[in-house]
Amino acid sequence: MGIDKEMKILLVDDFATMRKVIKNLLKQGGYNSIVEAEDGVAALKVLKSEKVDFIISDWNMPNMTGLELLKAVRADSDLSGLPFLMVTAEGLKENVVVAVKAGVSNYIVKPFTAEVLNEKIEKIIG
Amino acid sequence: MEKYGSLIGLIDGMASDFLFIDGREIDMLTAGKFLNNLEELIKETDSLKVFPLKNVAVGLNSLLEKIVLDDIDDKESGFNVLEKGIALMQEIGESFTNTGSYEGDIESFMESIEVLTGEQASEEVKEASTEEPQPVETIDEMQDDSLLRDFIFEGLEYIDEIEVNLLNLEKEPEDLDCVNTIFRPFHSIKGVAAFLNLETIRDFAHSLENLLDRVRSKELSVSSELIDIILDGADALKALIIELKDELEGNPGQPLKIDMADLKRRIENVEQDDTDTTKVKKLGTILVEDGAISEDTLEKGLESARQLKPPKKIGEALISDGKVTPKQVSQALRKQTGQAADTAVIRVNIKKLDDLIDMVGELVITQSMIRQNSFILSNPDRRLNKDIARLSSITSELQETSTRLRMVPIKQTFQRMSRLVRDLSRDAGKMVGVVTEGEDTEIDKNMVEEISNPLVHMIRNAVDHGIDSSKVRIKAGKPEKGLVKLKAFHRGGNIVIEISDDGKGLDRDGILNKAIEKKLIDSSQDLSDQDIYKLIFHPGFSTASKVTNISGRGVGMDVVKQAVEKLRGKIEIDSVISKGSTFALSFPLTMAIIGGMIVRVGKERYIIPTTAIRQLLRPVKESYTIIIGKGETITVMGNILPLIRLYKAFGIEADYKNPWEGIVVVVEGENKSKCLLVDEILGEEEVVIKSLGESMKSSKGVSGGAILGDGKVGLILDPEGLFELSEM
Repeated sequence: MGIDKEMKILLVDDFATMRKVIKNLLKQGGYNSIVEAEDGVAALKVLKSEKVDFIISDWNMPNMTGLELLKAVRADSDLSGLPFLMVTAEGLKENVVVAVKAGVSNYIVKPFTAEVLNEKIEKIIG
Repeated sequence: MEKYGSLIGLIDGMASDFLFIDGREIDMLTAGKFLNNLEELIKETDSLKVFPLKNVAVGLNSLLEKIVLDDIDDKESGFNVLEKGIALMQEIGESFTNTGSYEGDIESFMESIEVLTGEQASEEVKEASTEEPQPVETIDEMQDDSLLRDFIFEGLEYIDEIEVNLLNLEKEPEDLDCVNTIFRPFHSIKGVAAFLNLETIRDFAHSLENLLDRVRSKELSVSSELIDIILDGADALKALIIELKDELEGNPGQPLKIDMADLKRRIENVEQDDTDTTKVKKLGTILVEDGAISEDTLEKGLESARQLKPPKKIGEALISDGKVTPKQVSQALRKQTGQAADTAVIRVNIKKLDDLIDMVGELVITQSMIRQNSFILSNPDRRLNKDIARLSSITSELQETSTRLRMVPIKQTFQRMSRLVRDLSRDAGKMVGVVTEGEDTEIDKNMVEEISNPLVHMIRNAVDHGIDSSKVRIKAGKPEKGLVKLKAFHRGGNIVIEISDDGKGLDRDGILNKAIEKKLIDSSQDLSDQDIYKLIFHPGFSTASKVTNISGRGVGMDVVKQAVEKLRGKIEIDSVISKGSTFALSFPLTMAIIGGMIVRVGKERYIIPTTAIRQLLRPVKESYTIIIGKGETITVMGNILPLIRLYKAFGIEADYKNPWEGIVVVVEGENKSKCLLVDEILGEEEVVIKSLGESMKSSKGVSGGAILGDGKVGLILDPEGLFELSEM
């Protein structure tokens, strides 16, 4: 598979420990270029200032939710094509349809393994 | 036909997108696009009444939703049906464009969708299985301590946040944002705990999250019980995380003190209670319970009622079959609605309630004006007098009921304070327990917030200054653990809140020396203990010898006093050295209405709050004396009390200058009593307090105004302000 492991991934979650957990999983998958943001607002700031290749975002965050971030990304002509992987919890599975309609590239249900995460990423850009 | 143009456009768009799908599985992006297209298609087909097309679109929509949710096992046939569906929609669209109708058959296609999506039973099994904890193998290698440490640190921080936000939620139960800010931390903790294989924490956070989710979806409403449970839940979660921390640090100290099973049961009970109460029994069930019909008759009746065209209600059907009498049905119906009424609670904006209570206040006044109208008073019509009497009894009942609407138990406030004690004592490294009494005592909702700050401050003082460390306490022969007692009760028209501690008590001499040092008083003054204790309310007075995190932030007891006085309340201090102190705050029950004695001085009328009045008398000449240093006094029952001439205080003319000609009202305030000289007592009345407005706010001795029964305005006297005025 022609996946560029050097691609820059933007990881968005308000819970720092969760970011660390997912970062560890990404590193196990060979992805080392990761930038973090603590909510949608911070994520948009990152997106404005540097080139990002892939977004992984939590759904439920203060200030700006993952869904709002997704909509903002899709509405921005510079960013609209960015792969966007939404992290959700099993209890919120019904929200998935909303996210899909808003143009999410795929979603992943917590908790997940490095393998599942890898699979999802490959499915999106593979 | 032109009118189907946009439909055809939507369908063709989907068809061409479909051609570009790689492989035999639909990707999320295309699925999302399709779902949006279908939504639009369903809307349009509905308004254009192209029903065959609508049905197919609805079917495809539900199929796609299932595909997206990964709920379809047979992906291959899902994809095939999707393909077929799009082709079918093209066919129907074409047919409508050409002929305005579609004669073909969509049944077999709809069936194929149902086969794929309609497997309700197996789907539920699947749902349940995904809820099961999935062991995550890779975790062990990454479960290094640093991750756990981060989780502990951040988790605890999050829980603290929950507590703060819960207090906000208590204030704004309707605020969904607020619910969300509480939901989110539980959610995040659960998420990380799942990754770290911390099953107990995950499960527990999950059940709390579920509970809050039901609040978010308005299934449950915010009650004090709910808040308590969430608070306890947050505590338990905290304890679990701390336990984890202890383990990590290698000192698995104390086992958990929280009864998790009990807590879980409480969480579940909230849920059950709610479903129980919202569910109203079915009419048939009530009839069976009443013994009017048998279970069997009910079954048959229900069956035949359904088959009738048009279908009848069960009650009607049973009556027409002669199984029950109309009377039995109407009784059962009444029971049913009675049930519904029992559980009916509505939320009302507090502003509306305030307006209502205000208007009722006005009504009371108007009613009393009518009653005192000279035409009415002199009217011999017995019927009129009876009606007026009835009117006034109804209005006073109305007033009582409406005031009660705004009353809430003080429980919540006490719980917040108990929690505060816990947190403060932990910060101060002391051991302090809390006992509460009279939690059901009711208080005006508008006061709850206002009394919160003074209470918080006094509790801080009790924990920080009042109660000593365990070491000092043991030395003094007291139990190691200090105690703060919160007590609430009604006394007369007042609610009294007592905060007691079994600490070292107020240092009378310390306070005295400091006050002299700060030149608040002069050393020659002879002061009672009460007077000395009162000095701590003096602005800028603070006995804290060191500034701690807890108290000594530059906000002294003077702030407490101001806040309490703003509510027309007062503070009494009782303290025994080395035994402890009690601060008793008393407030009028409601902020809107007071009972007052109307007195006349010259042409003016004043209202003296009944709660402040101790005695009314016409003193004998001999009881009047002038004492050097105290001024004019009257001896009342052996007590020498200072005299305040109201006419002098307000600079007006009075009928009587001699106390033995007028009337003396003994009023109490701030632990002392004084005599007020007035001309005449006009009577007693309930009055609605009107603010005098910003410009009059600083006028001493007067706390507000009121419209009296005869329509004239009277000023409400503030005894303590008057005392201060007379001492200047």
